[in-house]
Amino acid sequence: MSLSPSQLTALRSLLDRIIPADDFPGALAAGTDTYVLRHLLGDGSAGAHVLLLGFSQLDAETVARHGAHQTFATLLPPQQDALLADLAAARPMTFWPPPLAAAPWFHRLVELAHEGFYADPANGGNRDAASWGMLGYAPRTTPERAAP
Amino acid sequence: MTSDHDVIIVGAGLAGGILAGVLAEGGRRVLLLDRGRSLAYSEIPGDHLRNHRLTLYGDHTTPDPAGHPRVFIDGAGVPHTVLPHDARYQLNAFTVGGGARVWGMQAWRFHPDDFRMATRYGVPDGSSLADWPIGYADLAPFYERAEHEIGVAGDHAGTTHAPRARDFPLPPVPRSPSAEWLARGADRLGWRTFTPPLAVNTRPYLGRGACIQCAQCIGFACPTDAKNGSHNTLLPRALASGRCTLVTRAHASRVLTDGSGQAIGVEYFAPTTTDSATLERRTARARTIIVSSGAIESARLLLLSASPLQPYGLGNHGDHLGRHVQGHAYPIAYGLLPPDVESSLLGPGVSVATTQFNHGNPGIIGGAMLANDFVKLPLIFWRQSLPPDTPRWGLANKRAMRDLFRRGIDVRGPVQEIPSPDSRVTLDPAVRDTFGLPVARLSGTTHPETVRTAEFMRARAEEWLRASGAERVWSWPAEKKFSAGQHQAGTCRMSADPRDGVTDPFGRVHGHDHLFVCDGSLHVTNGGFNPALTIMALAFRTAEHLLASP
Ligand SMILES: Cc1cc2nc3c(=O)[nH]c(=O)nc-3n(C[C@H](O)[C@H](O)[C@H](O)COP(=O)(O)OP(=O)(O)OC[C@H]3O[C@@H](n4cnc5c(N)ncnc54)[C@H](O)[C@@H]3O)c2cc1C
Ligand code: SF4
Repeated sequence: MSLSPSQLTALRSLLDRIIPADDFPGALAAGTDTYVLRHLLGDGSAGAHVLLLGFSQLDAETVARHGAHQTFATLLPPQQDALLADLAAARPMTFWPPPLAAAPWFHRLVELAHEGFYADPANGGNRDAASWGMLGYAPRTTPERAAP
Repeated sequence: MTSDHDVIIVGAGLAGGILAGVLAEGGRRVLLLDRGRSLAYSEIPGDHLRNHRLTLYGDHTTPDPAGHPRVFIDGAGVPHTVLPHDARYQLNAFTVGGGARVWGMQAWRFHPDDFRMATRYGVPDGSSLADWPIGYADLAPFYERAEHEIGVAGDHAGTTHAPRARDFPLPPVPRSPSAEWLARGADRLGWRTFTPPLAVNTRPYLGRGACIQCAQCIGFACPTDAKNGSHNTLLPRALASGRCTLVTRAHASRVLTDGSGQAIGVEYFAPTTTDSATLERRTARARTIIVSSGAIESARLLLLSASPLQPYGLGNHGDHLGRHVQGHAYPIAYGLLPPDVESSLLGPGVSVATTQFNHGNPGIIGGAMLANDFVKLPLIFWRQSLPPDTPRWGLANKRAMRDLFRRGIDVRGPVQEIPSPDSRVTLDPAVRDTFGLPVARLSGTTHPETVRTAEFMRARAEEWLRASGAERVWSWPAEKKFSAGQHQAGTCRMSADPRDGVTDPFGRVHGHDHLFVCDGSLHVTNGGFNPALTIMALAFRTAEHLLASP
């Protein structure tokens, strides 16, 4: 299983709207796409396969709203956010082939993005502990003194 | 019959380790079995997606999770086959040391009235509320022993809900500024607070170092081994005695009985050699067998051990085995600290508590201790603790995380549950584990009185935050649901009369001379407190009873 280049582009744009950059890194700068991709491609489960189809659907939603010359990635951020708000509210403009459904799909991606972004860096989505730096969090553990 | 062992203990968790330590030092030859492994600190990584506070994708302690499902019966009666990371599984840690390897360390004595709930409150319709056959005074010396031999830090003068003869061996954990802020709020309400008892080395003790107040405590193993349990105290003592053999990855499948129905040994699956993936079936015999596998698996093992003489499982003559499952309803009130008070990011985190509402609440059965929460993790905060009207994505969410992570605070407490006979562990007729054995089937739900008490305590928790000056306060209503989880208890309740329970007041299975249960299963009721110190006290008591028996 893999993503087409256009699916990958849509995924990246989506992640940077779910956790946008401001004074602090957003999802992409923190490498959250690495975590999400690992999750979607890694376990190869049927559920993950269904989620991949959603990225094509995102472009279809874009075309339905803004015409065939646009993709989700080429929209302006406010247009992207409006489209995502529609999906979150279960107001898609295109047909999402079951079991895919707009709102659950978007909410799952929101969960995945934040899992990667706020988990420990070893999970791949929080490079250089970017999100932890923003929050002032650090585990502050030191190596074990003596293993029991 | 000869045997290499005097005692076989099934489960090297919190209770099993204590049993092994006391019995081996007392001269008994002990075989200690655990289905999990002895894990080094480095084998339980600081993985924020897989730990015992958030098992989103599993955890690092459970051996072969896929091979050991359980079946959960939902409110509509529909069975679901669930794996350990699913909340419906009711997981506690399957590793040497048990839950205490990764626990939050709250080490509470129960309130004296927790042992006599039926006498104090009467028995509500549909519940199996009953008094314990023992009282606080029977356990007090063993609570004290657990505090000293496991290592509990606490405020002797402030901890007044149960009589105490001796100080804690360790000074209480430091108070965070937000805990001081809560203590001042409680003062305004006229509620008494104190620093709660935690089984943590606040200074070096028993040969191990002190807590460094790291920021990932509950759910994780401790970087300085300052998190006290039996794995770093009584279990090493057992092994040092030379009389305890610990076999890990050893999964008990049956208690063996003889023609007269008495327990004579244990059948288990264990690796052919230490590192082997292949497991072989073995049997071991001993005069005394102690089942200490946690309330769900202990009940399951006794059910799996049915024989022609005891067709419904060992100790099930009175139809109590596997029933009365309890955990704790856990109401939580969330709030935001005023900007000038920061919640600390220092572990363990729990440092202010009140026992004002454990009993004596008008019209309410029982109650709960309330305390502030453990040090928080960013992802758990994102999932659970943002104000409910915060957008779940986009810049608004990110800003809320940034602004509120340091200001979030919550107050929560373990509500004493009112047991129901229909909340139970049985054997599933269809689903089997990797050994071909029927798995635990969990069914039933909370008694309505538990929900009423939980709602009362939720209101107290909100009241506390408001009186303290929280800028916003919110919470979610309690609901009826099957409850066991990390605080699982009740499935082999002790009783004076064999008809009323599974074991006698020392944990000896009624009708059996040498078969014991020792873990939360014995709890007739589970107190309005985290249960582990009571489990430990019972383990010391059962072990001493065995040493005193011929
Ligand atoms: C994250 C977390 C936080 C907690 N915080 C607190 C707290 O702050 N305060 C508190 O009081 N309690 C707390 N608890 C609960 C506490 O850990 C348990 O109450 C305690 O561990 C119960 O002890 P036990 O000996 O009955 O069972 P366990 O410690 O669960 O031990 C049972 C052992 O039996 C083994 N076993 C099971 N089945 C078999 C079998 N068939 N064959 C062989 N071995 C078997 C298991 O591997 C396990 O090691 C917490 C638990 C967790 C997970
Ligand atoms: S807060 Fe202390 S006891 Fe808890 S894990 Fe960290 S060092 Fe260990």
